[in-house]
Amino acid sequence: MKPKVLRGRGLIRGSARGEALVSQKAFTFAHGVDPSTGDVTDVRSDMKGMNVRGKILFYPFGKGSTTASSWFLETVRLGNYPAAIVTEGVDLSAVIGSVMAKEIYGKDVPVVSGVPRTAYASVGTGAAVTVDADRGEVTWA
Amino acid sequence: MLRGEMGEAKQFALEIVSKVGDAVGADALVPIKSAHVLAHYSSLHDAGVDVLERFSDSGGKFAVPTSVDPASIDLQNWRSFGIPEEYARQQFRLCDAYARMGGMRCWTCVQYQVCNFPKQGETVAWAESSAVVFANSVLGCRSNKITAGMDVACAVLGMTPRFGMLLDENRRATVAFRLGFKELSDLDYRSVGFFIGRNSGARVPALLGLPASVTSDQIKHLGAAAAAAGPVMMIHFPGITPGSDALSEATNGGVEEIEITRADLEDVESDLNQTSEKPDLVAFGVPHLSINELGELARMLEGRTLEKGVKMYAYTSSQAYDMAGRAGISAAIERAGAKISHSTDAEISPLKRLGFNTVMTNSAKLAEIVSSEGEIKMRYAPQKKIIEEVTG
Repeated sequence: MKPKVLRGRGLIRGSARGEALVSQKAFTFAHGVDPSTGDVTDVRSDMKGMNVRGKILFYPFGKGSTTASSWFLETVRLGNYPAAIVTEGVDLSAVIGSVMAKEIYGKDVPVVSGVPRTAYASVGTGAAVTVDADRGEVTWA
Repeated sequence: MLRGEMGEAKQFALEIVSKVGDAVGADALVPIKSAHVLAHYSSLHDAGVDVLERFSDSGGKFAVPTSVDPASIDLQNWRSFGIPEEYARQQFRLCDAYARMGGMRCWTCVQYQVCNFPKQGETVAWAESSAVVFANSVLGCRSNKITAGMDVACAVLGMTPRFGMLLDENRRATVAFRLGFKELSDLDYRSVGFFIGRNSGARVPALLGLPASVTSDQIKHLGAAAAAAGPVMMIHFPGITPGSDALSEATNGGVEEIEITRADLEDVESDLNQTSEKPDLVAFGVPHLSINELGELARMLEGRTLEKGVKMYAYTSSQAYDMAGRAGISAAIERAGAKISHSTDAEISPLKRLGFNTVMTNSAKLAEIVSSEGEIKMRYAPQKKIIEEVTG
């Protein structure tokens, strides 16, 4: 099957491969992910019960507390972080968390935004995804 | 500025602020007059300690007056609230880092009522969503909602990227809410804010029809509820918001108008009430109560005693706590069996770890945040009704 490509804007450079974990709803790490496991705990999330570790995480927008960047960074510290983040709107918490992940723990979590949520359903949770944030490309087969 | 001249901490701050500026498409970095930074270990975690100490260990100092948000524990009386030793130790590492960097140790989310007083028209970089709404809507300052880590970077650098609420075109009201009734209880102000937060989407709301008697405390709670329920950073209150004397000025034209009815507020109440079980904790003061609100609570508790099996905590700033002590307000509240807790707040305390299962409050913000975690059941009611239920 020919790989399909979505294009956005790379906010944090780098590349990653992993399984897609897709949400159609606004998302936050703050009170929404247990950093000690990577499990999504937010009762309002359509990803509740799933795990973000090593995944290519898709969600349209960030929401909620301004502490989300630190919750995200704690998943990095504990090794339970996503491989890359793909959003529609710019989620500042993802950007700052990822900058800190590199600066403090030497980990890369590429971030791509500008990928519309209408495309997420066709990717689907479980798809094998490659993210090339330098080119702003999200590819899946 | 050359790298060497700048010092390591400032260079780190510049790196973060620049990357965020690029990500949001900011055209420039602009100077700020004040900053407000987050300090609670419950959300910053050990990673937050690493970030803070990276700044403080490399000689970071705040370039502008910087107030500090509440901690996750009562910094003075934490043992009496049952906080575990190792939890307190990590919180104090955060506090120490802020002290070394020159932060104002006010430990409050209502810094605008306590120690951080920018004037109209100034650009600030404040974390804490409820304070950002107050800054933009009441003080007439310009602030984006600054995220953890970025808050410290802006404070060390004394600059922030110009985007979002710093730009005129993003500050105009693009939706108007109109109150369909005149009398509002303490709970109604919070429910109105929550409704606005839920229904504004990415738009900037105006609120029409507030009674002239509205207090700054009521606006504080309204804004906090709005910011907890949605991405709201500013609400135009005609007659109150500087530069927003009339809706026409706030909007530059016609916008959608949404009437808020009693039924809408009842919907908010039923949404935030997850149980009718008896609470094991009653929490007032998210955001922090002012000295006036503590006085009002003391009057309502007069001659009453808290029932067994339920605790009642009123959260406030260290400054209001001291004042309440001198004014006899603390003694009156304690006589009823309640406690004042300062330098922390319920939504950033380890409530589950402290053994609480059902929490009752008049704070829509607290009810929203705690219920999203699904561990603790929330009840949401007016202060008077809560007191009548849990005291004899």
